[in-house]
Amino acid sequence: MPAPDAQKQAISIKVPAKDPKKPDDGGKPLDKKEEQPQDEKATKGKEKGKREKKVGEPEELSEEDRLLKEGLELAVTRSSDTDPEIQKAAIAHLSREIRSATTSMTSVPKPLKFLRPHYAALVAAYDGCAPGDNRRALADVLSIMAMTTAAPGARDSLRYKLAGNVKELGQWGHEFLRTLAGQIGEEYSARITGEAPAGGEGEAKPEDEEPDVSDLMVLVDEIVPFHLQHNAEAEAVDLLVEVQRLPKLLELPFVDDKNYERVCLYLLRMADYMSDPDDLASMLEVAHRLYRLRGRYVEALRVALRLDRQDEIAELFAECEDGAVRKQMALLLGRHRSSYTHPEDDAINELVGNAALSDHFLALARDLDVMEAKTPEDIYKSHLADSAGFSRRRDAGAPQVDSARANLASTFVNAFVNAGYGQDSLITPEGNSWLYKNKDHGMLSAAASIGMVLLWNVEEGLTQIDKFLYSGEDHIRAGAALAVGIVSSGVRNESDPALALLGEHAEGANAAMRVAAACGLGIAYAGARRTDVMELLVPLVANTDTADMAEVGLAALSLGLVFAGTCDEEVGSALAQRLMESTDTELDQGMARFVSLGLGLLFLNKQEKADAVLEVVKTIAHPIGRFTEVVLESCAYAATGNVLRVQKMLHLCAEHLDEKADYQAAAVLGIALIAMGEDVGTDMALRAFDHLLHYGGLPIRRAVPLALALMHVGNPDYGVVDQLSRLTHDADTEVAQNAIMALGLIAAGTNNSRVAQLLRQLSEFYSREAGPLFVTRIAQGLNHLGKGLMTLHPFHSDRLVLSPVALGGLLAVVFACLDAKNTILDKHHYILYFLACAMQPRMLMAVDEDVKPLSVTVRVGQAVETVGQAGRPKTITGFQTHTTPVLLGVRDRAELATNEYMALGGVLEGVVVLRRNPDADAAAAAAEGST
Amino acid sequence: MGQGPSGLPGAGPGRGQGGKQDKDEKKPKKKFEPRPPTRTGRKKRKKGPSAAVRTPQVFPTAKCRLRVLKLERIKDYLLLEEEYIKNQEVFKPREEKDQEERAKMEELRGSPLSVGALEEMIDDNHAIVSSSVGPEYYVNVLSFVNQDLLEPGCFVLLHNKVMSVVGILGDDADPMVSVMKVDKAPLESYADIGGLESQIQEIKEAVELPLTHPELYEDIGIKPPKGVILYGEPGTGKTLLAKAVANQTSASFLRVVGSELIQKYLGDGPKLVRELFRVADEMSPTIVFIDEIDAVGSKRYESNSGGTREIQRTMLELLNQLDGFDERGDVKVIMATNKIESLDPALIRPGRIDRKIEFPLPDIKTKRRIFGIHTGRMTLSDDVDLEVFIMAKDELSGADIKAICTEAGLLALRERRMKVCMDDFVKAKEKALYRKKGNVPEGLYL
Repeated sequence: MPAPDAQKQAISIKVPAKDPKKPDDGGKPLDKKEEQPQDEKATKGKEKGKREKKVGEPEELSEEDRLLKEGLELAVTRSSDTDPEIQKAAIAHLSREIRSATTSMTSVPKPLKFLRPHYAALVAAYDGCAPGDNRRALADVLSIMAMTTAAPGARDSLRYKLAGNVKELGQWGHEFLRTLAGQIGEEYSARITGEAPAGGEGEAKPEDEEPDVSDLMVLVDEIVPFHLQHNAEAEAVDLLVEVQRLPKLLELPFVDDKNYERVCLYLLRMADYMSDPDDLASMLEVAHRLYRLRGRYVEALRVALRLDRQDEIAELFAECEDGAVRKQMALLLGRHRSSYTHPEDDAINELVGNAALSDHFLALARDLDVMEAKTPEDIYKSHLADSAGFSRRRDAGAPQVDSARANLASTFVNAFVNAGYGQDSLITPEGNSWLYKNKDHGMLSAAASIGMVLLWNVEEGLTQIDKFLYSGEDHIRAGAALAVGIVSSGVRNESDPALALLGEHAEGANAAMRVAAACGLGIAYAGARRTDVMELLVPLVANTDTADMAEVGLAALSLGLVFAGTCDEEVGSALAQRLMESTDTELDQGMARFVSLGLGLLFLNKQEKADAVLEVVKTIAHPIGRFTEVVLESCAYAATGNVLRVQKMLHLCAEHLDEKADYQAAAVLGIALIAMGEDVGTDMALRAFDHLLHYGGLPIRRAVPLALALMHVGNPDYGVVDQLSRLTHDADTEVAQNAIMALGLIAAGTNNSRVAQLLRQLSEFYSREAGPLFVTRIAQGLNHLGKGLMTLHPFHSDRLVLSPVALGGLLAVVFACLDAKNTILDKHHYILYFLACAMQPRMLMAVDEDVKPLSVTVRVGQAVETVGQAGRPKTITGFQTHTTPVLLGVRDRAELATNEYMALGGVLEGVVVLRRNPDADAAAAAAEGST
Repeated sequence: MGQGPSGLPGAGPGRGQGGKQDKDEKKPKKKFEPRPPTRTGRKKRKKGPSAAVRTPQVFPTAKCRLRVLKLERIKDYLLLEEEYIKNQEVFKPREEKDQEERAKMEELRGSPLSVGALEEMIDDNHAIVSSSVGPEYYVNVLSFVNQDLLEPGCFVLLHNKVMSVVGILGDDADPMVSVMKVDKAPLESYADIGGLESQIQEIKEAVELPLTHPELYEDIGIKPPKGVILYGEPGTGKTLLAKAVANQTSASFLRVVGSELIQKYLGDGPKLVRELFRVADEMSPTIVFIDEIDAVGSKRYESNSGGTREIQRTMLELLNQLDGFDERGDVKVIMATNKIESLDPALIRPGRIDRKIEFPLPDIKTKRRIFGIHTGRMTLSDDVDLEVFIMAKDELSGADIKAICTEAGLLALRERRMKVCMDDFVKAKEKALYRKKGNVPEGLYL
């Protein structure tokens, strides 16, 4: 029996040390504390330690723990033995114990716990050890111990690992590899930046330009395959990114059919957050190559579109043999409004040219039974609107405001609602007089609305428009010219009717016709990058005879649309020159801003390629120079999420000005433009706008609703609707008008009943104010765009790819709203038709390999972010099962509900080509055979 | 205008389509269109601050570079905001502006105010309220009132003349629940528990780890456990362990005893349970500890007694809160009982309570530790040999051991000794065990 006082002593030491350890990362500070008493213990001498073991340990440890501990301690002492054999055995024992230890996540493995006090001893043993197998083995053991024991930031794990065996790292466990990967990243960046290696590396590296990292790469080559094989794709990619060796992914055989999708998804998502355009490009490039290697050409094409690589598209078509896949690719290009033309295959060109878009859309409409034409009154539903405001009925007898304006509104609503259906109740019926219920410039829009109603249906459209082209009334002829453009928006036709019909008018003597023809060409050939169109439009821009900037501005805008995102030098210089050479009186006109916008569109999403022109624009002394600068920069960085640019825009907004603050409005829109398309940025920009509303001056406040709309086009998120609805009653009419317009844009094509109700109330509230009422009507029309079958959302393909054309069309309208008084509320309301560029059916239509419609069941639900999740996570939530064709919301995603068919492209959106699943057929046959 | 005597609401001014109106009058009210639902119920407010104030959620939850990048992006934006606001503050200090606005609001509010209860929201700007004196009013809701907090049943401030809603009286949490919150952490820590290592580990995995490292569970692709039940003989340390958890965690800790959930009036018990979990959700991450769960959680049986049925209803509410229709966020439940066999099987099914942790009587090693803990601060004389008690075959629980040590100390005190000697322990043990065996002489039934 031990002496009682000894026992007491032992207890007093033991109790505090018995606190269970915290999970590994939180444990570090705690560990430090504990080390001290243990060191103390070690110095106190052997006999005390012995007595402790005899007296204290039996109470503390179970039998097996004690055995383990003793074994380990023995091994530690032996590891510094001079006999290599003994040493080897000892080290082998240590590593075996460490490797075989299993434990909970809440505590440190026992062997490590027991070995911790002996770390110093082992280091000493290692230092004294002769080079050879033993030294390496010991280094392995030290490496894993350094994970918890070494000082943070010392990268000891890595140092010892480099000295030890660099093979079969997997056997040391996942956590170790993670630590190691982290340290490799740190070490790599330290070596690259040339700073003295922290702690670890003793010898200073010579300062040469290319530091030697081959030793690290050996480790990387070991770790990455391990991660890839063990469902840790994200970690593998992270490591490669840190050591800037991403292309290695392409060479590894471990990126196989099972995990390439996860790798690619991770890369695509990560690319959004790369601040350096080169990193972004390389990341997307790798994803593109990976898809291509695995024969997923449609996905590869998506990425190529994201990268905007025309050459890659041609290569993909050259590489892909499968006819159906080629069709799917062509359909995707058509959705993107790409200018790609296949040199041989006409069938492909037809699909890229959206020749069948009208048929598809009508098929969808028939399937959903919404073919019947709607009148504007069906949209206004004024019989419902009055319910809330009995107090206002007393002014019901008040004189009516401006019926011409109301008719004009009805024209637009009719055009938007019946867009693409080919029939309506106002303008297309034979012998109707609607056209003549409008006056002057109203007739222009009324005539142009035919184009909208017959959208995408070029042949039918041209026959109907034809008669107006020869009307005696100038405005009607101009409207018909615009209609020709609208009808062929996004649709390619071999005979190029738009060019043929509008070409002469663009060169003609009639100013109104020239403007209409310019707009028509812009809408018809948006994104087509056609030089023959350029040759028609450039003279209009360069024309200095006329003092009317409307013509110049709209021609410039059209040029920007046609060459959106191309950085075409000729167009760029034409536009920039026009800005520089114009007189101040010209530039003072509001329409001059569209020249700036045209310039911006030219460099859409092209980042630093706009720098040269930016420098040129800076030389313009007129305030519009500043405006152009902001527009150009925000367009160039559109949808990049570049925080530095957002900062710049915010700085501009922070300045306090009372006049000449146009550029501040542009800067607000710039924030939205830059942040759009990336969820985190969009949410955070929302907060920024809140502050802008709170502090900003009038120009800023006026732009905020439009900026909000730009970020949520076609996506009536509850919070945003709420915020906008508050702004619709703002004291400043223009803020209110813009907020109303914004409501229309965010609800575009959704038939959203909440927004519809808000707008009805607004139409009541503003019943005696012409401007806001007009805008409310337009917003109502937009809410029911294409009877709820269309969207204006500029992103497609699972919100990955930005269609520059669609964004261009939206921007034209949004910029017009910045100066609504002089544009859409004045004579230039036809600018609203630029929305045709952004209009797309929001459908999912399944077709077979011959592009014939198919009816299959699909599940449609809210998209869920699945990147970096374990297992096979659900991609949609709250889904319902439908049969195609079916409508898709902006945040919806679809997946096939049957396994009879397989989709040839990964993303189910727009028109999808399906192929019969051979497995399913075989399975069905087997089932039949058995019964 | 063709405004008929019927007062057709559709023919408001500004529409201006002469031809269309006649047609309208012929077929009024074409289609009924339901107005979009005004939000009701409590669900809404749980979501916390509105989108404009909240920072976005970040996916994936696993530790990876993408997550870091996203979080950095958020940080960048926040820095931008800070910078912008600072700039603006220099120009026009906020306080001044605030004061201006506050003064304006005070003016709109008027004085004196009266208190009313919100009966129903009609639309976003109108509501029916009942004032304390009786009649109900259809009134305006002023725009500066936070719409998100308005819900039927809440108390509102009313303007004294026009009775419009000008404010909300917040925090209607049941005072009963606020009592349950543990504000002062208990002193017991894990170090005060002798043995029970596997139990500690299990409870940590099930309760603490999901709150601190949710990504670990996501990595592996499982949902973390929702709750644990601690069961075992009396005095084996169930409550002690819960105290240690409360001591250790930074999550809010609600503790409640099963019997507290039994209330005098019908429906009060279930209501309390609901309140409890609502508060837990609001303060999440939260650990809810329900001691002596058998008070409400015993098996259901046919009964005519209203009291029994009420208790059963309370339990049913508890069942629903534990794993019902609504998703519980970061709320973990710990229950403790002596009689797990008497609990309703529905209560402890997996999904509600995923882990059942048994607390056995201490074995020899544990007993030694417990003795060590309790005698650690006592002055013992040299002749005390605890091994005798440790090795003895009596079924000692942790509480018994504590009782023995305390009793021994008391005996020593009685004799004014400064040290506790072996004799004290022997007597103390006899006394403690005598009491435990319920005064039944040993060996009577042999």
